[in-house]
Amino acid sequence: MSMRRHWSLFATASRYALIGHARNRFAMLLVVLYVPVWIALAYVTIPDRPAPFRLRATGEVLSPAGNQLTQITGALNAVTLIAGFMMFAATFTGGAFDRRLAMAGYPRPHLVLAKLAALTLACAAVAAYATAATCVGWSPRQPLVLAAALFCAAMTYGALGVVFGSVLGREVEGMFAILMISILDLALQNPLSSSGSDSAVVRYLPSYGAVQASMSAGFSTASASQGITIQLLWLFGASFAGFLVFRRRTRDALPPVRRTSRPVPGTDPGAAAPGAAAPHVPPQEDAPAPRVRSPRP
Amino acid sequence: MEVRDVHHSYRRHAVLRGVDLDLRPGVLAGIVGENGAGKSTLLKILSGEIGPDLGSVHHSGRFGYCPQSVVLDDSFTVRQHLDFFRCAFGLTDLRRAEEVLETLDCTAYLDRRAGLLSGGTRQKLNLTLALMHDPDVLLLDEPYQGFDWETYLRFWDLATKLRDTGRSVLVVSHLAYDVGRLDELWRLEDGRLHRQEARPEKGAVT
Repeated sequence: MSMRRHWSLFATASRYALIGHARNRFAMLLVVLYVPVWIALAYVTIPDRPAPFRLRATGEVLSPAGNQLTQITGALNAVTLIAGFMMFAATFTGGAFDRRLAMAGYPRPHLVLAKLAALTLACAAVAAYATAATCVGWSPRQPLVLAAALFCAAMTYGALGVVFGSVLGREVEGMFAILMISILDLALQNPLSSSGSDSAVVRYLPSYGAVQASMSAGFSTASASQGITIQLLWLFGASFAGFLVFRRRTRDALPPVRRTSRPVPGTDPGAAAPGAAAPHVPPQEDAPAPRVRSPRP
Repeated sequence: MEVRDVHHSYRRHAVLRGVDLDLRPGVLAGIVGENGAGKSTLLKILSGEIGPDLGSVHHSGRFGYCPQSVVLDDSFTVRQHLDFFRCAFGLTDLRRAEEVLETLDCTAYLDRRAGLLSGGTRQKLNLTLALMHDPDVLLLDEPYQGFDWETYLRFWDLATKLRDTGRSVLVVSHLAYDVGRLDELWRLEDGRLHRQEARPEKGAVT
């Protein structure tokens, strides 16, 4: 396959992934309204008295204003929910369509990379927007790091959304799964709402790295690289899980590069029970359907 | 398409117990069966969605599959669907897709989003996506659901034309309704395919 064809496949799939997200009106509405409203309300309603807590990553004790701290956890909450919801919706409703595309010969790596590219763009935009909304009230010490932390957390939940969209059978189940995980995840880490935020368990929560990094970014000049690294690990783990479930759902469409007739994809003739009929392979010149890319002359 | 001794069970419940089928070029064939006879399972295996427990399925040449439930993305227009699948099939143009849409009288909806189309029009697009790469073997699962009478007749014209140009077409339906239009008819019963007589005098609709 030529480079140009690779690029064309990737670009086309990315374009349609973005169109799909953009047509998800509810998610767009959430981005435009929910993010700033949450952030503004947190700032206005939560008292600004200091809420001291120890940053696990550096061991520093920080004393940020309670409302600023809540803004950051609120921003994390908003971006993770939106990304998780968007990806869940796209995966849940698009599962059969993706399978059809893959069966028609669309290479799955290109489809997956395109989804990842669209998710990356969407998360970057949402993270930048949420950071900008936060910066309206006060000045985080390291706004770029804050944006990076929000971005990584959103990406992680986006990947989790793909997993849930693939394995859960009903839309409402996925929504609840994402909501519940996000609530548990962030409530347990918020020093205002939980004294457990200093417990060892929180280290294993999906947005632990992002919370640590964004707190460093908001209230100290300490390096947030450890937090970002932990979050990237979660992101890779969740993305890998997302890729695996996507592959499983569209597995039959994997076009093996052979120019003989194909057994039904997903069937391993060698794995057939003893006594199984030997696969019948007639001599044929033609490549099977999904592998033939040229139109009939 | 060659199907050899396909078996499939769900836990202990055997649904297919040795299905054999040869679909030669230039044949318009049909499979009928009652609800629960295993048609859906057979279709899933023929289309590659699941693998059989035993046996094998081979397609030679390009393969097209029109699923029973319409598989579209509601946020894309008809034109965007065609463009996306053009890329998937690696086609240089949409000539064939346009011909099919023309035949099914669907060209007026090119720029309308799939989510806003009527059920029949969605099915037309569903069918077009299965035909647009001019497949050699075509598997159609209840392909005329939601079609009005005129479109239904056009569909059979299209299927006949494909057969006449050497394609293999397999139509699966729960009703033995149009057996007169078929060259071969099979009934799925007790997990096996039984050859039936295709009777032009009874089934033909003109």
